[in-house]
Amino acid sequence: MKWKRILALGGAMFLGVAILALDVVRSSVDIEIEGLLTARDILVLTAFFLLYLFLELSEKTRIEQTVKKLGLILVLSVVVTLVTTALLMFTTDISFEAKEGFLNPLSYKTVFAASFLNLGFSLLALLIFRFLRDLILYKRRRGTRRNLIILVVLMAATAASTMFLRPVDSGIVTSVLFGTAVIAMVANSFRLSWIVYLSKREKVFGLIYAFLLFGTLTVLNVMTQTGLLNQILLYYSHPLKEIVGQTLLFGNIYAGMAFVSTLFHLPTAEAFEKKTTEISSLHTLGKLVTRVFDFNELLDTVTTMTLQVCEAKACWIEIVHQGEGEEGKADPGAVYEYRSKVRSCRLRVAGLRNIRSEEIELLLPFGESSMRDEIFLEPKPVVVDDIAADERINTNRKKGIRQGSMVVVPLLSHDEVIGILYAIKDTEQGFFKDDVDVVSAFADQATIAIENSRLIDKSLERERLMREMMLAQEMQKRLLPQSLPIFPTIQLDAVSTPAFEVGGDYYDVVQLEKERIGIVVGDVSGKGLSAAFYMSEVKGIFQSLSRIHSSPGTLLERANDVLSDSIDRRSFISLIYAVVDTRTGKLTLSRAGHCPMLHVSGNDIRYVRPSGMGLGLSRGKAFSDSIQEETLQLKPGDSCVFYTDGLTEARNGDDEFGYERLIDCARDFRNMDATGIKQSILGRVQSFSANQSLHDDLTLLVLKWVGKP
Amino acid sequence: MSEFNVQQREHGEISVLDLKGYLDAHTAPKLEDAFQDLLAAARFNIIVNCRDLSYISSAGLGVFMAFIEEVRKNEGDIKLTNMTPKVFNVFDLLGFPLLYDITNEEAEAIRKFTEKRK
Repeated sequence: MKWKRILALGGAMFLGVAILALDVVRSSVDIEIEGLLTARDILVLTAFFLLYLFLELSEKTRIEQTVKKLGLILVLSVVVTLVTTALLMFTTDISFEAKEGFLNPLSYKTVFAASFLNLGFSLLALLIFRFLRDLILYKRRRGTRRNLIILVVLMAATAASTMFLRPVDSGIVTSVLFGTAVIAMVANSFRLSWIVYLSKREKVFGLIYAFLLFGTLTVLNVMTQTGLLNQILLYYSHPLKEIVGQTLLFGNIYAGMAFVSTLFHLPTAEAFEKKTTEISSLHTLGKLVTRVFDFNELLDTVTTMTLQVCEAKACWIEIVHQGEGEEGKADPGAVYEYRSKVRSCRLRVAGLRNIRSEEIELLLPFGESSMRDEIFLEPKPVVVDDIAADERINTNRKKGIRQGSMVVVPLLSHDEVIGILYAIKDTEQGFFKDDVDVVSAFADQATIAIENSRLIDKSLERERLMREMMLAQEMQKRLLPQSLPIFPTIQLDAVSTPAFEVGGDYYDVVQLEKERIGIVVGDVSGKGLSAAFYMSEVKGIFQSLSRIHSSPGTLLERANDVLSDSIDRRSFISLIYAVVDTRTGKLTLSRAGHCPMLHVSGNDIRYVRPSGMGLGLSRGKAFSDSIQEETLQLKPGDSCVFYTDGLTEARNGDDEFGYERLIDCARDFRNMDATGIKQSILGRVQSFSANQSLHDDLTLLVLKWVGKP
Repeated sequence: MSEFNVQQREHGEISVLDLKGYLDAHTAPKLEDAFQDLLAAARFNIIVNCRDLSYISSAGLGVFMAFIEEVRKNEGDIKLTNMTPKVFNVFDLLGFPLLYDITNEEAEAIRKFTEKRK
């Protein structure tokens, strides 16, 4: 790239010097060679083209500071004008002698001056052309480029048509081409879209620059067409003069058009600028919404932007509180109770800009205001043209509130008002439709942001609860026996699976004295956390009482006394408690509302169901009277199945596993050991309710009496 | 999930609640509301007809526990009638027959209420 530039510049300079040398020779020696002038014209144009290439190869700039560039072109034009004028005025003996339609320089000074001035004008013309081309192609449409090419071709054709003319001649073809070129110039000069995107300040400067450039180029155009300068350019090269002259004319026309157009755009400059700010603010806010997690910061941003965009004096936002969750995040002083016939809620005032809550209280009392009621009833923007005169505002008629106008916009989410955005201007009738549109747009963005933030909070909260539940589950697992005691005469195995994270089922095996053990299986009514709490309480009671009371019935009575004090009156606990003598195989059973124990003794399979009501249903005598004990003697090979209703009520569609199926299981698996029976029953229950997850906790404990080893 | 319904009928001084469907932790609030309405209207002679009740869970049983005390304090009662064997078994396991008046027929429960008044 670089060597190309050097080559282009070097070539242009070499040709320029060569032409100068040729001219010097020509002016001293009268030589007549056929086609010399045509060849010279070609050299001049080649030099001009190389200069153009040189400029083209230099840095490509996008138009960003159009007005600045306009200023530069203006300065350049003024400099060229001044230098030319000075040169022609203060340098004597620059003159030509017209002979046979040709111009002959009368001094070497004339030849040098011609070279210099032509170089200057060529450069100016090239820079102006490049500048205009960039402007015209800005935000191009179909045909923009084509029109410009037509113009360039016409200009080139006009120049070419003068190649074979003597300097002082003018041909009809040239005139026609020139006229057409001018039409193309005017057509191209309508491409002024860049003006629209200037800021107001830039437009003012652009206006001045365009006007001055128009003036300067007019002067230059007149100069190049008359007097000595005309002669100098014609002498140097007629085609080059055509190109330079036309470019200057094009610049002149374009500057004039730009001036007029900027003038017309000036009044709307402000509105246009405002629209641009609106769009960019909305864009910024849109991006912010997805990023900002800090609720308050977000509200501040919303009100600040509202202030900027609609040039309001004051602004604030009120958020309708939903739950208790956000309470902690708010500044405690900024939440107000709102009670009116229409709505009772808590309002949080946030994002205050240039207004204090005391003043808001004056304008629209937080306790109740007809303005807010209006918004709650019919959620759509309200414009107040005159704060002082409006009957919805300052209902208490206090003095010292600000004058002006106000717009009130609801924040709507799923047709529900979740907040209100307010903006105040200090002039009456300050809000027009487009202001209301903007504030509404901001309100929409704020709504999204608030919803977003709430969702994030919700999911964080849920995650926290999940973690707590996991912890509770871990804790509860540890409440159940980690391993069951081993005896030579008894096999024991058990399993308990909660339907949810935590359950209300409980089982335990305690060694009472040396040869007696206590087995308990229980179920707390209800599920989830409350059930889990009762379950841990049951464990405590059972662990402590079982060592004091040797009779199962007495234990249940005492347990009921303790539990009745603490249990919720709609909750109850069912419990089955068996004491087994590991030496003799004597089993004593009591039941408090729990599922009966299944006793399997060979082919004799039956439910053992002493009477007894659930713990917590009644207290004192009524309970004690209901409790019975049943004693049975286990024979070697006998097994006992303890379980909770999660097993018998395991579902398959509308069908329940039930007691009959459990008896079938016990019969089928009666010859297995305790673990085998447990696994097999569980397997059958699971395959029975294959398509459905457990809807209740399930506990199963199997005791097998091996007898004397 | 099966549905649960409570229908209320008036029988003079006695209010009858007809339960239908599947009474568990999810549907229990419906029955609770019905009881609350009756208590608010000072109607304490209540018969719960379980003819169409297909299932009751411990949370369902809890509803009766929640109101019996207040009803009896106001010299009324909650009587349960027309249970299917399966539903009765659930009540029976927990020992409800010791606490509640459970009859086979609604007419019997009505008779008991009216006898008491005399």
